[in-house]
Amino acid sequence: MEEKTKRAVRKAVLLAFFIIVIGLLIYSRVTARPTKETFKDKLSEFGLWESPLLYVAIPALYIADYFSHAWICLLFAFSVAGLIYEFVPKETITRYMGRGKAAGYGLALCMAPFLTVCSCTMVPLFGGILYAGAGVGPAITFLLMAPAANILTILMTGEMISWAVAGARIIASAAVAVIAGLIVSATPWGKAVEKEFQVADSAAGSSAKVEVVKPPLDERLWAALKFAGYLAKQILPFFIIGLIVVGYLSAFIPEEIVESYLTGPTGILIASVLGGPLYTPTLVEIALGQELWNKGMSKGALLSWLMGQPYDFANAMAVSRIAKWKVVATYFIVAWAGSVTFGFLYGMLSGSL
Amino acid sequence: MKEVKVEVIGPEPPCMRCQAAKKAVEKAAEKLKQAGVVVNVEKANIMSKEIVQKYGVLVSPAIAINNAVKIIGRVPSPEEVEKLIIEAAK
Repeated sequence: MEEKTKRAVRKAVLLAFFIIVIGLLIYSRVTARPTKETFKDKLSEFGLWESPLLYVAIPALYIADYFSHAWICLLFAFSVAGLIYEFVPKETITRYMGRGKAAGYGLALCMAPFLTVCSCTMVPLFGGILYAGAGVGPAITFLLMAPAANILTILMTGEMISWAVAGARIIASAAVAVIAGLIVSATPWGKAVEKEFQVADSAAGSSAKVEVVKPPLDERLWAALKFAGYLAKQILPFFIIGLIVVGYLSAFIPEEIVESYLTGPTGILIASVLGGPLYTPTLVEIALGQELWNKGMSKGALLSWLMGQPYDFANAMAVSRIAKWKVVATYFIVAWAGSVTFGFLYGMLSGSL
Repeated sequence: MKEVKVEVIGPEPPCMRCQAAKKAVEKAAEKLKQAGVVVNVEKANIMSKEIVQKYGVLVSPAIAINNAVKIIGRVPSPEEVEKLIIEAAK
Protein backbone atom coordinates (compact mmCIF):
# COMPACT_ATOMS: atom_id res chain seq x y z
CA MET A 1 0.00 0.00 0.00
CA GLU A 2 2.75 2.39 0.95
CA GLU A 3 4.59 1.63 -2.26
CA LYS A 4 1.44 2.52 -4.16
CA THR A 5 1.00 5.92 -2.52
CA LYS A 6 4.66 6.68 -3.08
CA ARG A 7 4.26 5.97 -6.77
CA ALA A 8 1.11 8.08 -6.98
CA VAL A 9 2.83 11.02 -5.32
CA ARG A 10 5.84 10.73 -7.59
CA LYS A 11 3.60 10.55 -10.63
CA ALA A 12 1.68 13.64 -9.54
CA VAL A 13 4.83 15.65 -8.85
CA LEU A 14 6.43 14.75 -12.16
CA LEU A 15 3.27 15.40 -14.15
CA ALA A 16 2.93 18.74 -12.38
CA PHE A 17 6.49 19.61 -13.35
CA PHE A 18 5.91 18.94 -17.04
CA ILE A 19 2.59 20.78 -17.01
CA ILE A 20 4.19 23.79 -15.32
CA VAL A 21 6.99 23.88 -17.91
CA ILE A 22 4.50 23.79 -20.78
CA GLY A 23 2.33 26.35 -19.00
CA LEU A 24 5.32 28.65 -18.50
CA LEU A 25 6.04 28.64 -22.21
CA ILE A 26 2.44 29.45 -23.09
CA TYR A 27 2.33 32.15 -20.44
CA SER A 28 5.54 33.71 -21.73
CA ARG A 29 4.07 33.68 -25.25
CA VAL A 30 0.88 35.38 -24.16
CA THR A 31 2.52 38.08 -22.08
CA ALA A 32 5.60 38.58 -24.23
CA ARG A 33 6.72 42.18 -24.32
CA PRO A 34 9.47 42.49 -26.87
CA THR A 35 12.17 44.73 -25.49
CA LYS A 36 14.54 46.46 -27.81
CA GLU A 37 17.19 46.76 -25.14
CA THR A 38 20.10 44.41 -25.80
CA PHE A 39 23.32 43.60 -24.06
CA LYS A 40 24.98 46.31 -26.12
CA ASP A 41 22.77 48.95 -24.55
CA LYS A 42 23.87 47.68 -21.18
CA LEU A 43 27.48 47.95 -22.29
CA SER A 44 26.91 51.61 -23.18
CA GLU A 45 24.91 52.23 -20.03
CA PHE A 46 27.72 51.08 -17.78
CA GLY A 47 30.30 52.81 -19.98
CA LEU A 48 32.09 49.58 -20.66
CA TRP A 49 33.00 50.15 -24.31
CA GLU A 50 36.13 52.07 -23.35
CA SER A 51 36.96 50.11 -20.25
CA PRO A 52 39.53 47.31 -20.13
CA LEU A 53 36.80 45.09 -18.75
CA LEU A 54 35.09 45.09 -22.15
CA TYR A 55 36.35 41.67 -23.17
CA VAL A 56 35.00 40.09 -20.02
CA ALA A 57 31.81 42.08 -20.03
CA ILE A 58 30.79 41.14 -23.57
CA PRO A 59 30.38 37.40 -23.10
CA ALA A 60 29.07 37.79 -19.55
CA LEU A 61 26.38 40.29 -20.48
CA TYR A 62 25.56 38.50 -23.73
CA ILE A 63 25.00 35.17 -22.00
CA ALA A 64 23.00 36.77 -19.21
CA ASP A 65 20.90 38.55 -21.81
CA TYR A 66 20.42 35.41 -23.88
CA PHE A 67 19.38 33.24 -20.98
CA SER A 68 17.01 35.86 -19.62
CA HIS A 69 15.13 35.58 -22.91
CA ALA A 70 15.65 31.92 -23.61
CA TRP A 71 15.56 30.04 -20.32
CA ILE A 72 11.87 29.14 -20.52
CA CYS A 73 12.31 28.05 -24.08
CA LEU A 74 15.39 25.96 -23.29
CA LEU A 75 13.70 24.35 -20.30
CA PHE A 76 10.68 23.58 -22.46
CA ALA A 77 12.72 22.22 -25.37
CA PHE A 78 14.79 19.90 -23.19
CA SER A 79 11.77 18.67 -21.21
CA VAL A 80 9.75 17.96 -24.33
CA ALA A 81 12.69 16.25 -26.01
CA GLY A 82 13.05 14.02 -22.95
CA LEU A 83 9.34 13.23 -22.87
CA ILE A 84 9.10 12.42 -26.54
CA TYR A 85 12.23 10.32 -26.52
CA GLU A 86 10.88 8.29 -23.61
CA PHE A 87 7.36 7.84 -24.92
CA VAL A 88 7.89 7.36 -28.63
CA PRO A 89 7.43 3.62 -29.34
CA LYS A 90 10.99 2.90 -30.37
CA GLU A 91 10.56 -0.84 -30.83
CA THR A 92 7.66 -0.39 -33.25
CA ILE A 93 9.62 2.03 -35.38
CA THR A 94 12.75 -0.06 -35.49
CA ARG A 95 10.83 -3.24 -36.27
CA TYR A 96 9.47 -1.79 -39.50
CA MET A 97 12.78 -0.32 -40.52
CA GLY A 98 13.88 -3.33 -42.51
CA ARG A 99 10.71 -3.63 -44.58
CA GLY A 100 11.17 -2.29 -48.09
CA LYS A 101 12.37 0.97 -49.56
CA ALA A 102 9.35 3.24 -49.34
CA ALA A 103 8.73 2.31 -45.70
CA GLY A 104 12.44 2.86 -45.11
CA TYR A 105 12.40 6.43 -46.41
CA GLY A 106 9.16 7.25 -44.64
CA LEU A 107 10.35 5.92 -41.33
CA ALA A 108 13.74 7.52 -41.66
CA LEU A 109 12.05 10.89 -42.08
CA CYS A 110 9.56 10.36 -39.29
CA MET A 111 11.82 8.83 -36.72
CA ALA A 112 14.87 11.00 -37.16
CA PRO A 113 13.33 13.99 -35.38
CA PHE A 114 12.29 11.91 -32.38
CA LEU A 115 15.08 9.46 -31.83
CA THR A 116 18.22 11.39 -32.26
CA VAL A 117 18.57 14.33 -30.04
CA CYS A 118 21.64 12.50 -28.84
CA SER A 119 24.43 12.08 -31.35
CA CYS A 120 25.60 8.83 -29.83
CA THR A 121 22.52 7.03 -31.11
CA MET A 122 22.79 8.43 -34.59
CA VAL A 123 25.74 6.64 -36.14
CA PRO A 124 24.75 3.25 -34.62
CA LEU A 125 21.27 3.66 -36.06
CA PHE A 126 22.79 4.52 -39.42
CA GLY A 127 24.71 1.24 -39.32
CA GLY A 128 21.69 -0.65 -38.03
CA ILE A 129 19.51 0.58 -40.88
CA LEU A 130 22.14 -0.51 -43.39
CA TYR A 131 22.45 -3.98 -41.88
CA ALA A 132 18.70 -4.39 -41.59
CA GLY A 133 18.48 -4.33 -45.35
CA ALA A 134 16.63 -1.04 -45.73
CA GLY A 135 19.43 0.05 -48.04
CA VAL A 136 21.85 2.91 -48.12
CA GLY A 137 19.21 5.44 -49.26
CA PRO A 138 17.06 5.47 -46.12
CA ALA A 139 20.22 5.33 -44.01
CA ILE A 140 21.50 8.54 -45.61
CA THR A 141 18.06 10.14 -45.34
CA PHE A 142 18.02 9.37 -41.66
CA LEU A 143 21.54 10.66 -41.18
CA LEU A 144 20.81 14.01 -42.81
CA MET A 145 17.39 14.49 -41.27
CA ALA A 146 18.46 13.79 -37.71
CA PRO A 147 20.63 16.79 -36.90
CA ALA A 148 18.66 19.12 -39.17
CA ALA A 149 15.24 18.60 -37.72
CA ASN A 150 15.23 17.06 -34.28
CA ILE A 151 12.80 18.20 -31.62
CA LEU A 152 15.34 20.36 -29.87
CA THR A 153 16.51 22.35 -32.88
CA ILE A 154 13.01 22.79 -34.27
CA LEU A 155 11.61 24.07 -30.99
CA MET A 156 14.53 26.45 -30.54
CA THR A 157 14.41 27.70 -34.13
CA GLY A 158 10.68 28.26 -33.84
CA GLU A 159 10.77 30.02 -30.51
CA MET A 160 13.95 32.06 -30.90
CA ILE A 161 13.84 32.96 -34.61
CA SER A 162 10.41 32.33 -36.10
CA TRP A 163 8.04 29.47 -36.74
CA ALA A 164 7.98 30.25 -40.46
CA VAL A 165 11.72 29.68 -40.62
CA ALA A 166 11.39 26.52 -38.50
CA GLY A 167 8.72 25.17 -40.86
CA ALA A 168 10.86 25.96 -43.88
CA ARG A 169 13.75 24.24 -42.18
CA ILE A 170 11.77 21.03 -41.66
CA ILE A 171 10.39 20.90 -45.20
CA ALA A 172 13.68 21.78 -46.87
CA SER A 173 15.67 19.35 -44.72
CA ALA A 174 13.23 16.52 -45.43
CA ALA A 175 13.34 17.16 -49.16
CA VAL A 176 17.13 17.34 -49.26
CA ALA A 177 17.47 14.24 -47.07
CA VAL A 178 15.27 12.15 -49.37
CA ILE A 179 16.93 13.45 -52.54
CA ALA A 180 20.38 12.74 -51.12
CA GLY A 181 19.28 9.25 -50.15
CA LEU A 182 17.90 8.54 -53.60
CA ILE A 183 21.00 9.88 -55.34
CA VAL A 184 23.47 8.00 -53.15
CA SER A 185 21.56 4.72 -53.56
CA ALA A 186 21.77 5.13 -57.35
CA THR A 187 25.54 5.57 -57.48
CA PRO A 188 27.83 2.57 -57.98
CA TRP A 189 29.67 3.27 -54.71
CA GLY A 190 26.38 3.52 -52.85
CA LYS A 191 25.34 0.17 -54.22
CA ALA A 192 28.70 -1.30 -53.22
CA VAL A 193 28.14 -0.27 -49.61
CA GLU A 194 24.67 -1.75 -49.72
CA LYS A 195 26.02 -5.06 -50.94
CA GLU A 196 28.74 -5.12 -48.33
CA PHE A 197 26.19 -4.73 -45.57
CA GLN A 198 23.71 -7.21 -46.90
CA VAL A 199 22.77 -9.87 -44.37
CA ALA A 200 21.10 -13.14 -45.13
CA ASP A 201 17.45 -12.87 -44.23
CA SER A 202 17.33 -15.39 -41.45
CA ALA A 203 16.24 -13.30 -38.52
CA ALA A 204 12.82 -14.95 -38.58
CA GLY A 205 14.25 -18.37 -37.89
CA SER A 206 16.50 -17.46 -34.99
CA SER A 207 15.54 -17.92 -31.38
CA ALA A 208 16.00 -14.28 -30.57
CA LYS A 209 13.06 -12.04 -29.98
CA VAL A 210 12.19 -8.56 -28.90
CA GLU A 211 9.76 -8.25 -26.03
CA VAL A 212 10.28 -4.86 -24.55
CA VAL A 213 9.03 -4.30 -21.04
CA LYS A 214 7.27 -1.10 -20.05
CA PRO A 215 7.87 0.26 -16.58
CA PRO A 216 5.06 2.10 -14.73
CA LEU A 217 4.21 5.68 -15.68
CA ASP A 218 5.98 7.35 -12.77
CA GLU A 219 9.23 5.62 -13.66
CA ARG A 220 8.87 6.59 -17.30
CA LEU A 221 8.26 10.22 -16.39
CA TRP A 222 11.29 10.16 -14.15
CA ALA A 223 13.32 8.59 -16.96
CA ALA A 224 12.12 11.34 -19.32
CA LEU A 225 13.27 13.99 -16.88
CA LYS A 226 16.59 12.25 -16.38
CA PHE A 227 17.10 12.06 -20.12
CA ALA A 228 16.30 15.76 -20.43
CA GLY A 229 18.95 16.42 -17.80
CA TYR A 230 21.42 14.22 -19.61
CA LEU A 231 20.81 16.10 -22.85
CA ALA A 232 21.26 19.42 -21.12
CA LYS A 233 24.52 18.24 -19.59
CA GLN A 234 25.76 17.10 -22.99
CA ILE A 235 24.70 20.14 -24.98
CA LEU A 236 24.76 23.17 -22.70
CA PRO A 237 28.53 23.37 -22.02
CA PHE A 238 29.25 23.57 -25.75
CA PHE A 239 26.29 25.86 -26.20
CA ILE A 240 27.64 28.31 -23.64
CA ILE A 241 31.11 28.27 -25.21
CA GLY A 242 29.38 28.93 -28.52
CA LEU A 243 27.46 31.83 -27.00
CA ILE A 244 30.72 33.44 -25.84
CA VAL A 245 31.91 33.48 -29.44
CA VAL A 246 28.54 34.69 -30.68
CA GLY A 247 28.69 37.49 -28.11
CA TYR A 248 32.01 38.78 -29.47
CA LEU A 249 30.81 38.46 -33.07
CA SER A 250 27.64 40.30 -32.21
CA ALA A 251 29.54 43.12 -30.57
CA PHE A 252 32.19 43.59 -33.23
CA ILE A 253 30.73 42.68 -36.62
CA PRO A 254 29.32 45.86 -38.14
CA GLU A 255 25.88 45.67 -39.68
CA GLU A 256 27.16 46.99 -43.00
CA ILE A 257 29.30 43.89 -43.48
CA VAL A 258 26.41 41.54 -42.75
CA GLU A 259 24.10 43.53 -44.98
CA SER A 260 26.52 43.57 -47.89
CA TYR A 261 27.82 40.00 -47.66
CA LEU A 262 24.93 37.97 -46.28
CA THR A 263 22.15 39.13 -48.55
CA GLY A 264 21.28 38.28 -52.14
CA PRO A 265 22.63 35.31 -54.09
CA THR A 266 26.19 35.72 -52.79
CA GLY A 267 24.80 35.87 -49.27
CA ILE A 268 23.21 32.47 -49.70
CA LEU A 269 26.40 30.99 -51.11
CA ILE A 270 28.51 32.41 -48.31
CA ALA A 271 26.01 31.33 -45.64
CA SER A 272 25.83 27.79 -46.98
CA VAL A 273 29.60 27.45 -47.12
CA LEU A 274 30.05 28.88 -43.62
CA GLY A 275 27.15 26.95 -42.13
CA GLY A 276 28.25 23.57 -43.30
CA PRO A 277 31.84 22.53 -42.84
CA LEU A 278 32.32 25.00 -40.03
CA TYR A 279 31.38 22.90 -37.06
CA THR A 280 28.93 24.60 -34.78
CA PRO A 281 27.71 22.68 -31.74
CA THR A 282 23.96 22.01 -31.68
CA LEU A 283 21.83 25.06 -30.96
CA VAL A 284 24.74 27.49 -31.44
CA GLU A 285 23.84 27.75 -35.11
CA ILE A 286 20.45 29.04 -34.01
CA ALA A 287 21.90 31.71 -31.70
CA LEU A 288 24.40 32.87 -34.31
CA GLY A 289 21.80 32.77 -37.06
CA GLN A 290 19.47 34.87 -34.93
CA GLU A 291 22.22 37.40 -34.30
CA LEU A 292 23.19 37.65 -37.97
CA TRP A 293 19.56 37.92 -38.96
CA ASN A 294 19.08 40.83 -36.54
CA LYS A 295 22.04 42.48 -38.21
CA GLY A 296 20.44 42.23 -41.63
CA MET A 297 21.09 38.77 -43.07
CA SER A 298 18.36 37.80 -45.53
CA LYS A 299 15.87 35.05 -44.71
CA GLY A 300 17.12 32.99 -47.64
CA ALA A 301 20.68 33.13 -46.35
CA LEU A 302 19.41 32.34 -42.85
CA LEU A 303 17.79 29.13 -44.07
CA SER A 304 20.92 28.10 -45.96
CA TRP A 305 22.95 28.77 -42.85
CA LEU A 306 20.67 26.67 -40.65
CA MET A 307 20.60 23.85 -43.16
CA GLY A 308 24.36 23.56 -43.05
CA GLN A 309 24.23 21.61 -39.79
CA PRO A 310 23.97 18.04 -41.16
CA TYR A 311 26.99 18.19 -43.38
CA ASP A 312 29.62 19.35 -40.98
CA PHE A 313 32.96 17.63 -40.61
CA ALA A 314 32.40 15.86 -37.31
CA ASN A 315 29.42 14.06 -38.76
CA ALA A 316 31.20 13.20 -41.99
CA MET A 317 34.15 11.73 -40.11
CA ALA A 318 31.92 9.42 -38.09
CA VAL A 319 30.09 8.22 -41.16
CA SER A 320 33.17 7.66 -43.27
CA ARG A 321 34.15 4.97 -40.80
CA ILE A 322 31.17 2.90 -41.95
CA ALA A 323 30.57 4.00 -45.50
CA LYS A 324 33.08 4.82 -48.22
CA TRP A 325 34.34 8.38 -48.50
CA LYS A 326 32.70 8.58 -51.92
CA VAL A 327 29.32 8.11 -50.26
CA VAL A 328 30.17 10.86 -47.80
CA ALA A 329 31.33 13.17 -50.62
CA THR A 330 28.14 12.53 -52.58
CA TYR A 331 25.76 13.38 -49.78
CA PHE A 332 27.96 16.31 -48.80
CA ILE A 333 27.56 17.81 -52.26
CA VAL A 334 23.85 17.08 -52.48
CA ALA A 335 23.22 18.55 -49.03
CA TRP A 336 25.18 21.66 -49.92
CA ALA A 337 23.41 22.11 -53.25
CA GLY A 338 20.12 21.57 -51.44
CA SER A 339 20.84 24.23 -48.86
CA VAL A 340 21.68 26.74 -51.63
CA THR A 341 18.59 25.84 -53.67
CA PHE A 342 16.20 26.03 -50.76
CA GLY A 343 17.87 29.21 -49.55
CA PHE A 344 17.06 30.80 -52.90
CA LEU A 345 13.53 29.42 -52.98
CA TYR A 346 12.74 30.54 -49.47
CA GLY A 347 14.38 33.90 -50.04
CA MET A 348 12.23 34.52 -53.10
CA LEU A 349 9.03 33.21 -51.54
CA SER A 350 9.44 35.23 -48.37
CA GLY A 351 10.60 38.28 -50.28
CA SER A 352 13.85 38.45 -48.38
CA LEU A 353 16.69 37.43 -50.63
CA MET B 1 22.30 -22.93 -9.86
CA LYS B 2 20.60 -20.84 -12.53
CA GLU B 3 22.43 -19.13 -15.33
CA VAL B 4 21.23 -16.06 -17.12
CA LYS B 5 22.85 -14.36 -20.10
CA VAL B 6 22.57 -10.59 -20.25
CA GLU B 7 23.74 -8.71 -23.32
CA VAL B 8 24.33 -4.99 -23.09
CA ILE B 9 24.07 -3.76 -26.66
CA GLY B 10 25.65 -0.47 -27.63
CA PRO B 11 28.04 1.14 -30.07
CA GLU B 12 31.77 0.61 -30.03
CA PRO B 13 33.43 2.67 -28.52
CA PRO B 14 30.68 2.76 -25.87
CA CYS B 15 28.61 5.90 -25.35
CA MET B 16 27.97 7.35 -21.92
CA ARG B 17 24.45 6.04 -21.59
CA CYS B 18 25.54 2.54 -22.59
CA GLN B 19 28.16 2.58 -19.88
CA ALA B 20 25.49 3.63 -17.41
CA ALA B 21 23.30 0.75 -18.57
CA LYS B 22 26.17 -1.68 -18.18
CA LYS B 23 26.84 -0.44 -14.68
CA ALA B 24 23.22 -1.01 -13.73
CA VAL B 25 23.39 -4.57 -15.06
CA GLU B 26 26.63 -5.27 -13.22
CA LYS B 27 25.17 -3.96 -9.98
CA ALA B 28 22.16 -6.24 -10.37
CA ALA B 29 24.41 -9.18 -11.21
CA GLU B 30 26.52 -8.61 -8.13
CA LYS B 31 23.44 -8.65 -5.94
CA LEU B 32 21.99 -11.75 -7.57
CA LYS B 33 25.22 -13.66 -7.15
CA GLN B 34 24.51 -13.84 -3.44
CA ALA B 35 21.07 -15.21 -4.21
CA GLY B 36 22.59 -18.00 -6.24
CA VAL B 37 21.90 -16.75 -9.74
CA VAL B 38 24.86 -16.66 -12.10
CA VAL B 39 24.64 -13.73 -14.45
CA ASN B 40 26.88 -13.64 -17.48
CA VAL B 41 27.18 -10.04 -18.60
CA GLU B 42 28.29 -9.62 -22.18
CA LYS B 43 28.88 -6.55 -24.23
CA ALA B 44 27.54 -6.67 -27.77
CA ASN B 45 28.24 -4.28 -30.61
CA ILE B 46 25.05 -2.72 -31.94
CA MET B 47 26.64 -2.31 -35.34
CA SER B 48 27.78 -5.86 -35.88
CA LYS B 49 26.17 -8.11 -38.45
CA GLU B 50 25.37 -10.75 -35.86
CA ILE B 51 23.40 -8.48 -33.58
CA VAL B 52 21.37 -6.84 -36.33
CA GLN B 53 20.65 -10.23 -37.81
CA LYS B 54 19.55 -11.51 -34.44
CA TYR B 55 17.49 -8.60 -33.15
CA GLY B 56 16.98 -6.15 -36.00
CA VAL B 57 17.64 -2.44 -35.70
CA LEU B 58 17.98 -1.28 -32.11
CA VAL B 59 18.35 2.03 -30.35
CA SER B 60 21.29 2.10 -27.98
CA PRO B 61 21.57 1.26 -25.15
CA ALA B 62 19.63 -1.99 -25.41
CA ILE B 63 19.60 -4.90 -23.01
CA ALA B 64 18.78 -8.49 -23.95
CA ILE B 65 18.20 -11.18 -21.34
CA ASN B 66 18.47 -14.79 -22.46
CA ASN B 67 18.28 -13.76 -26.12
CA ALA B 68 15.24 -11.54 -25.74
CA VAL B 69 15.54 -7.79 -25.97
CA LYS B 70 13.88 -6.27 -22.93
CA ILE B 71 15.05 -2.69 -22.99
CA ILE B 72 15.58 -0.34 -25.91
CA GLY B 73 17.04 3.13 -25.79
CA ARG B 74 16.99 3.82 -22.09
CA VAL B 75 19.03 3.33 -18.96
CA PRO B 76 17.22 1.10 -16.45
CA SER B 77 17.71 1.13 -12.70
CA PRO B 78 19.62 -1.80 -11.14
CA GLU B 79 16.40 -2.85 -9.37
CA GLU B 80 14.55 -3.12 -12.65
CA VAL B 81 17.29 -5.22 -14.22
CA GLU B 82 17.31 -7.41 -11.12
CA LYS B 83 13.58 -8.05 -11.47
CA LEU B 84 13.95 -8.91 -15.13
CA ILE B 85 16.79 -11.32 -14.48
CA ILE B 86 14.90 -13.08 -11.70
CA GLU B 87 11.97 -13.46 -14.05
CA ALA B 88 14.22 -14.95 -16.72
CA ALA B 89 15.86 -17.31 -14.23
CA LYS B 90 12.54 -18.88 -13.25
